[in-house]
Amino acid sequence: MNEPMDTKQKDNDQIVEKAKALFDDSVDSLDAATLSRLNQGRHRALAELQRASSASPWLRWVPATGIAAAALLAVMVMRGPDGVDAIEGPVTASDFEMLLEEDSLDMLEELEFYYWLEASDLEVNGNVG
Amino acid sequence: MTAHAGVFAVSCSREHSTGTKTLQAERQLNQFLAEVERRALRMAEIAVRDRDDALDLVQEAMIKLARNYATRPSTEWAPLFFRILQNGIRDWHRRQKVRNRVMVWFGRAKTGDDDYDITANAPDPAGRTPDEQLQTSEAMQQLELAVQNLPNRQREAFMLRTFQGLDVAATATAMGCSDGSVKTHYSRAIHSLRDALGEHWQ
Repeated sequence: MNEPMDTKQKDNDQIVEKAKALFDDSVDSLDAATLSRLNQGRHRALAELQRASSASPWLRWVPATGIAAAALLAVMVMRGPDGVDAIEGPVTASDFEMLLEEDSLDMLEELEFYYWLEASDLEVNGNVG
Repeated sequence: MTAHAGVFAVSCSREHSTGTKTLQAERQLNQFLAEVERRALRMAEIAVRDRDDALDLVQEAMIKLARNYATRPSTEWAPLFFRILQNGIRDWHRRQKVRNRVMVWFGRAKTGDDDYDITANAPDPAGRTPDEQLQTSEAMQQLELAVQNLPNRQREAFMLRTFQGLDVAATATAMGCSDGSVKTHYSRAIHSLRDALGEHWQ
């Protein structure tokens, strides 16, 4: 009963193994000129890392400044114009805690990436997950 | 005077510590990129069918990783790097579509098959007889064509899982989708490849 299923699985495994072996072979056989260009590209990337780490110290405060601005904006939205509360209830410490929690920081860091992803998914029809 | 000397010493110590950290991070990143760059290039080349463009895409991905994610734990680098690369490849395909539309308007559309000779770009393996070399080359050519003909997401899942060896979770991060979607795309990819390559290829 299970034989056709097993055979199918075996065929799949064979395809994967052969594909992997062929791909590995093609990777090992890349020519010197291509490897040299890859090497150059890698060093450009590492130079970028050095540039980022030697950037002015005040630049390191940019993310913190962004979060402070976001928190201020949140307060302004909640307060509404003319000091009237737009959202009922006081601004509590937990609200700030929520804004400043690690996930929010990660999200801000990856904002550009998420924007790129979203834009890509929207433009490529039916290509989402 | 002594206080100034103390402040200077602390400042130097901090600089030294930061410099050491940067050097360490640079060494780690260099090692990571050296490990993945060749596979990444071949994957990009299969996806875009042009080695120069593939080299540009890989370099761009390396720079973006260094610029934005070098401070992340090194265990996260692989899925992030391939996520950036896959996004770059998708952007490349979009740009090609637009370019082709413009070319159609001017009556000079590219078919996508011209200027790319897989045999000419095929590797030149050492230490094998010409017959073995030819067989390997032909099998790789068939595989590349079959992988290129897969829908984008299936191709991504197949290459990340099989060629790069990422697990389901890392592939999901790299593709920006759920684990379940990865499994579905991968399974469909294998099924399509089996149909396309036939029994004789195995």
